[in-house]
Amino acid sequence: MRSAEGRGRTLDEAVDAALIELGETRRNVDVKVVSENANETIVEVSVIDPAVAEAAGSMPQANGKAETVRSLLEGLLKHMGVRAQVQVRPGSDPITLDITGRDLGALIGWRGETLRALQSVTNVMVGKHLDEGERVIVDVERYRQRREHTVREIALRAARQVKMTGDAITLDAMQAFERRAIHLALESDPDVSSSSIGEEPDRRVVVGPRKPAE
Amino acid sequence: MAAADQIRRAIAVVNAAADGAGDEDITPTEIAEAIRDCLELAETSAMPKVRKYLGEALDATSDGMPADFVAMTLYAALGALQEGRSLH
Repeated sequence: MRSAEGRGRTLDEAVDAALIELGETRRNVDVKVVSENANETIVEVSVIDPAVAEAAGSMPQANGKAETVRSLLEGLLKHMGVRAQVQVRPGSDPITLDITGRDLGALIGWRGETLRALQSVTNVMVGKHLDEGERVIVDVERYRQRREHTVREIALRAARQVKMTGDAITLDAMQAFERRAIHLALESDPDVSSSSIGEEPDRRVVVGPRKPAE
Repeated sequence: MAAADQIRRAIAVVNAAADGAGDEDITPTEIAEAIRDCLELAETSAMPKVRKYLGEALDATSDGMPADFVAMTLYAALGALQEGRSLH
């Protein structure tokens, strides 16, 4: 699998640097955040194996439900006057719809608020095509995936610090999917545990030393 | 708390229920409380359209409608609030 390291002041700059080196577009790559601080972000960008992508790419055709959901979202975007492509993320469970195109920042909005609203509307629209309790995830330019990567890295950094100092760390307020990513990242760590405090939308994850009884 | 912040808080509660971070159980009562808090604000009482959407969101919650539906209605209330402000 081809991959490249990218560096930049922001996550977007780092990803773009790696994409230029690879000669690829965001649609064909996976992004892993290697490190992130106030001055520099380093990412590892890997090109998705074309054979795997092609094999998985045939799944939406095989999965009529995913294709129906995809075309409904595509129709919604068309009505909104947004020129973008919608693809079903290969092998995703729950069904994840990736929206790609140019200048889609407005679809993400402040801290992903517009993206989250779009996901709610999409789920209401496609609800009758889904099983009970089943939901679809909507992602724009892999924003959500990158956020998950980022918060996972934050969690691992916090865990390292907790192990060194023995003091608990309270992270910034995060959305539910981000908190879940942190809980999942640390659940198998024998030395630290995570819990949440506060009320929405200021609910924060606290990473602290795991107590012996836990 | 300003009306927009209060509606955003209600949306966050609903979204947390829908996304399920696994770190708390959000009950419909809590969602209803968050929406009622929005209805009690002086700012929203002067905006019938906002109240209409908030009322619909409250009804949807008590009717057991999916969280995404409630969230969508609250987003509509937020939009109506911003629309109402720009008209004043």
